[in-house]
Amino acid sequence: MPLRFDDQFLKKLEYLHVVSKRAFAGHNRADRLTAHRGRGLEFADHRPYTAGDDFRHIDWKAYKRLGRLLLRLFDEERDLPIYLMLDVSRSMAEPAKFDMARRVAAALCYIGLVHLDKLTILPFGRGLGQESAPGRGKGRIFRVFEYLERLEPAGPTDLRSSFKEFAGRPRQLGLTVIISDFLDPGGFEAGIKILRTLGHDVFVVHVTSEGDRHPGAFGEVRFVDAETGDLREVEVTPRLASAYVKAWEAHAAELEHFCGRYDVGYVRADAEQPFEDIVLKAFRQGRFVA
Amino acid sequence: MAAWQAWLLLAGAAALATALFLIKLRPPRLLIPSVLIWSRVLGDVRQQTLWERIRRAVSLIATVVIALALALAVVRPGRLADGGTRADGRLLVVLDASWSMEAATGRGETRWERAVAEARRVFTSSSGAEMALATTADGLVEGPTTDLALIETALERTRAGGGDATAWPRLAGATAVHFITDGATARALDPSVVVHSVFEPAPNVGITALEVRPSLTPGNAGDAYLEIGNFAPAGQKVRVRITRGATEVLNRELDAAPSELLRQVLPIPRGGDPSLTVKIEAPQNALAEDDEAFAWVARARPLVVRVVGTQTQWLRAAFERDPDVRAAFIDPAGYTASPASPNARPDVTIFDRWAPSDPPAGPALLFAPPAGTRWLSEGGGAASPGPAADERAPKWEIPGSHPVVQGVDPFTLTVDRAHSYSAPSLVPVAQSAQGTPLVYVSESQDTRLVIVTFSINESNLTAAPGFPVLLGNAVDWLARPVLFAPQSGDADLAHRVQRPGLTAFAGVVTKVTGPGGSDVPLTRVGETGFARLRVPGIYSVQGGGTRSTFAVNLADPQLSNLTRTPPVMAGRVVTVAAGASGAPWWVYCALAAFALAVAEWWTWQRRITV
Repeated sequence: MPLRFDDQFLKKLEYLHVVSKRAFAGHNRADRLTAHRGRGLEFADHRPYTAGDDFRHIDWKAYKRLGRLLLRLFDEERDLPIYLMLDVSRSMAEPAKFDMARRVAAALCYIGLVHLDKLTILPFGRGLGQESAPGRGKGRIFRVFEYLERLEPAGPTDLRSSFKEFAGRPRQLGLTVIISDFLDPGGFEAGIKILRTLGHDVFVVHVTSEGDRHPGAFGEVRFVDAETGDLREVEVTPRLASAYVKAWEAHAAELEHFCGRYDVGYVRADAEQPFEDIVLKAFRQGRFVA
Repeated sequence: MAAWQAWLLLAGAAALATALFLIKLRPPRLLIPSVLIWSRVLGDVRQQTLWERIRRAVSLIATVVIALALALAVVRPGRLADGGTRADGRLLVVLDASWSMEAATGRGETRWERAVAEARRVFTSSSGAEMALATTADGLVEGPTTDLALIETALERTRAGGGDATAWPRLAGATAVHFITDGATARALDPSVVVHSVFEPAPNVGITALEVRPSLTPGNAGDAYLEIGNFAPAGQKVRVRITRGATEVLNRELDAAPSELLRQVLPIPRGGDPSLTVKIEAPQNALAEDDEAFAWVARARPLVVRVVGTQTQWLRAAFERDPDVRAAFIDPAGYTASPASPNARPDVTIFDRWAPSDPPAGPALLFAPPAGTRWLSEGGGAASPGPAADERAPKWEIPGSHPVVQGVDPFTLTVDRAHSYSAPSLVPVAQSAQGTPLVYVSESQDTRLVIVTFSINESNLTAAPGFPVLLGNAVDWLARPVLFAPQSGDADLAHRVQRPGLTAFAGVVTKVTGPGGSDVPLTRVGETGFARLRVPGIYSVQGGGTRSTFAVNLADPQLSNLTRTPPVMAGRVVTVAAGASGAPWWVYCALAAFALAVAEWWTWQRRITV
């Protein structure tokens, strides 16, 4: 399915920007304030002149008034490194669910690119896949779309090994967005903890579908795990179906609770929900975009 | 089906049901994102209810019971008890078809339904043997056959319908004979016959007599005599409705004491509809068939007589005094063989000293027809004996026994000359001492004729006391024929009380029509026709160029009294239990199987219980 947004929606996205709870400094100048003092436009402070400082930043008006050489300091505006980690395991193979995940990723990419953030898309399953080249500027959005369209769900999910692999390479700290259904037999906790431990600001987009939330069949059924091929022969009775729904809700609540405890942003994206509502309302309510 | 085969089938059905239940069918595969949630759900130790724990066992038991019930419904095994016969024997079951078998019992079923259920039980317990079904009304109805379905169909279609008390169906080689009866009709039975009694006393009110007799009152066509019997142990009010045609002539409620016979005499005026219907209603009334009775008032309508002749004053004087006759006098020149409209057709045509060139189409009385009348002299063709000689001053010395001359005093009649006719169909019913016919009759399926061989000019006929008798007899015989075949001890055919059953008719009868205009099959044996008059009502028979109508009623106190204890019957007597007429047990088996299957599907297949 092609990932294209109409112009009206793109305009709406341009008014948004990705919110990071912490300030990270990128390498390039951008429009995001950092803790560094540098060559931004916004005045920040004065400091005494020391040998070697750039004469251009001496505040001559202050020298005339105070008789001391003071150097004007400006806030450094840098880009924000955003890592979009997209689950491409077989559990995401349900078209509606995978499309939702890719569209969310595409929307976040566009918001980031518009604000000159450095965006990297990292598909993962059992491990990290071929990540996209980091890029800035909204002109790259079509390459992002093409990149996302080429992704195919395959293999099992292993959040822990994937994020461990992510951590294995030196990367600038930044905002890490995990877009996944979090159906990892090994659990989601370890993986998220790794990212938090690294110092990243982590945000979770929990993509779900009707097929995840409900058993989908009654009577005797052999459920086949899309990732592992494992079989579960179950006689689905109304009571058991109800138990399944409750178990799934418990799983989602557990993820949300975990995210809350570790200061990880959480937004649930149901594949059946309108996409615009998720981006424009749910992400805002989750304070992920502003 | 032999017993071992039936048991084998039952065991097989149970085994098959169990095997099918236990066979694990491969359930459909469903690809899901992950079995993670299912693992958690199934990993939880769920507290199962008692129902969940035993549900599978209950389902297995239900499946086996369904299979067994269906197998039982199919094979319908039965034990060889009071009833049956061995597979190598031949069984005859005779159902008493007398009307009393239609009596309702306290449980709502009729004796007949109870008898049919008992017959079904006897047949079922003898499956494998040759079986035959008979009723006392219809004789052998079905069989001998080993096909239970044929017998079942025959049981469904047979109905109680009277029958001859002496008739007894027979089956060659029958090794077991069962007679299912209420004992209301006493029969001499062979001691080997097993009698199944469906008798149960039943309170009843019935019409025990309805007849129309000639009335002595001028202006009346007759008097209807009605008798109603209350055979209930308690007194009750009986509503009586009498209708003449479509007109209600009596609607009255009568109090009837226990065992009382209520008698009513109702004068029937001349004119009006000749059919009379009586209906009664009462609270305690087990038998519906005797609640309605019919009568036919033959003299309600005057006879239409056409007199053809030139000097017929002597007949005019005779008919003027008879209110039962409406006579029309015409000249021979105005005579036509068939009147313009059927309604104008006379009941009798009288030819006085004149005869038409062709035989008359309807009943006719001829006084001294001309000797040259061709159809009276040459009717026999080549075989005809030819014209006979007239006799002068013949003496009629021996009174005749034929209805036409019955009661005619011959000794006061003086005849100067009697003519003789040679048509072979003419039968002399009164002759002179020398053998010259004085009165002829002719009877065929098309017409009836009476020929008086002397005229008033040649006799003292009009002055003789026997004249009105002879004229009345002749007109009655021609226009109101009694077409029943005479039976032994049947002195008064005209007033015979006709009951449903096999009835013998005269040979001239060509057609019998039942109530509602339905044709009744007529079987001719020699000179007699037989028809089975199945239900009470107004019947008419056609023959001899005319039509005769009569009523058929049950009207029998012995039949209406349903509280009588049946006489002790010889041989082995089996009492049929009340309530036996319910559906056969295999129907309940099939219903139980269906109900269980529905319950099983509802609770298990739809998974609403666990």
